[in-house]
Amino acid sequence: MEPIAANGGVSLFIPKTYDIFWSLVILIILALFFYKYFMPKFQAIFDERAAKIQGGIEKAKKAQEAADQAKKTYEDQLNQARVEASKIRDDARAEASHIVADARTRAEGEAQQITANAERSIQSQRQQALVSLKGEVGTLATALAGKILGSQLQDSAVQSSMIDSILDEAGKTGSDATKA
Amino acid sequence: MVEAVGSGALTLAASKPELPGIDDFMPPEILFQGTPFAMNRIIFVRFIAMVVILLLLGVTAARAKLIPSRWQGAVEWLLDFVRDSIVYEVMGELRGRRYVPMITTIFLTVMCFNLCGIIPGLNIAATATITMPLVFALWTLIQYLVTGVRAQGLGKYLKQELFPAGVPWPIYILLTPIQLLEMLIIKPASLTIRLFANMIAGHLLVAISLAFAQFYIIEASNKLLALAGVGWFALGFALTAFEIFVAALQAYVFAILSTVYINQSYPEVD
Repeated sequence: MEPIAANGGVSLFIPKTYDIFWSLVILIILALFFYKYFMPKFQAIFDERAAKIQGGIEKAKKAQEAADQAKKTYEDQLNQARVEASKIRDDARAEASHIVADARTRAEGEAQQITANAERSIQSQRQQALVSLKGEVGTLATALAGKILGSQLQDSAVQSSMIDSILDEAGKTGSDATKA
Repeated sequence: MVEAVGSGALTLAASKPELPGIDDFMPPEILFQGTPFAMNRIIFVRFIAMVVILLLLGVTAARAKLIPSRWQGAVEWLLDFVRDSIVYEVMGELRGRRYVPMITTIFLTVMCFNLCGIIPGLNIAATATITMPLVFALWTLIQYLVTGVRAQGLGKYLKQELFPAGVPWPIYILLTPIQLLEMLIIKPASLTIRLFANMIAGHLLVAISLAFAQFYIIEASNKLLALAGVGWFALGFALTAFEIFVAALQAYVFAILSTVYINQSYPEVD
């Protein structure tokens, strides 16, 4: 120790050689440690962490984008399906009304045909009936008239003229009846 | 607590407490006495603190993971604090990035060295001789001179420092020597003395309180005085807690002033 140390505090402010030496040694060791090892190591950790967080955010963003895309596709498909469904429904409805109309026309046609056939057949049956009636009525009338007139009408000439006149009348009334 | 120097043996049973003095800060050389490599108690304390820093932070860095453990999180919080609240806060990220390792070294080292003052067994801050703070201050001095010359060139830097703009020329006769003095002496000296004096004062306060506590509780013959001893102990306890705060605060002050001085070497932007 320097002699001044004994006197008072001034010596506190005077650095000693060995103190400077060791302080420098310690400072240099610590500075080297911090500069060469400690700070770079932690800087690397910080950088890596930042990169990872950045990467994570980007990944999430990408996933979000993909999800949005998928949602859009899905919604498009849904809309398309909806449009298609309504189109199919409309088509079906149109077809159904078409079928109904068709069926109705066909049914009406058939009904008309059936009516016409029926009328025709009725007409022809009546014709037949008239013809057969005409024959039968003639025979019946002749037989009836023969029975009534008996022997008076043996003469064939009178007979035939009489029958003709009766038949004419019968025919007239028959045609009147059909007209009515 | 108190260095057993000189009259220690005599005061054991004496009626006087064994008070600390400035000899605490000038302990006898233990190794290599008389050579420029002599080592005393405070230098040993420094070495212990250095080894603790190297081991603690070295192991932390070696085991550092992407997902921090609690301890790593605490260390990272300190690193973030130095980087964001000291360096970037003062000089911005662009300028500051280069100085983060230096300011981190200063802050963590000064804080650990200061804390030695309250660690039982060490009981003296490793920064409690003028040399250690002086070495840190010289580092800051060299750094801000180099920064000034690199950022503006020697001429411009000296002109900015010694002949501040906007002053009438006769004032320079007075101002320039003051500026020169401030640049080369006052800035590093203020850094040094602030830290060193704080550590000396802290050590003396704690040591005196505990020396009185020891004296009144254990050594004094009048047992009524033990009550006073309890009061002294409470004071010593409070001052020890205060020293923890001062240790961190002085490290912060040293680090932030170093940053400010370096930042002043950059050209002023109007």
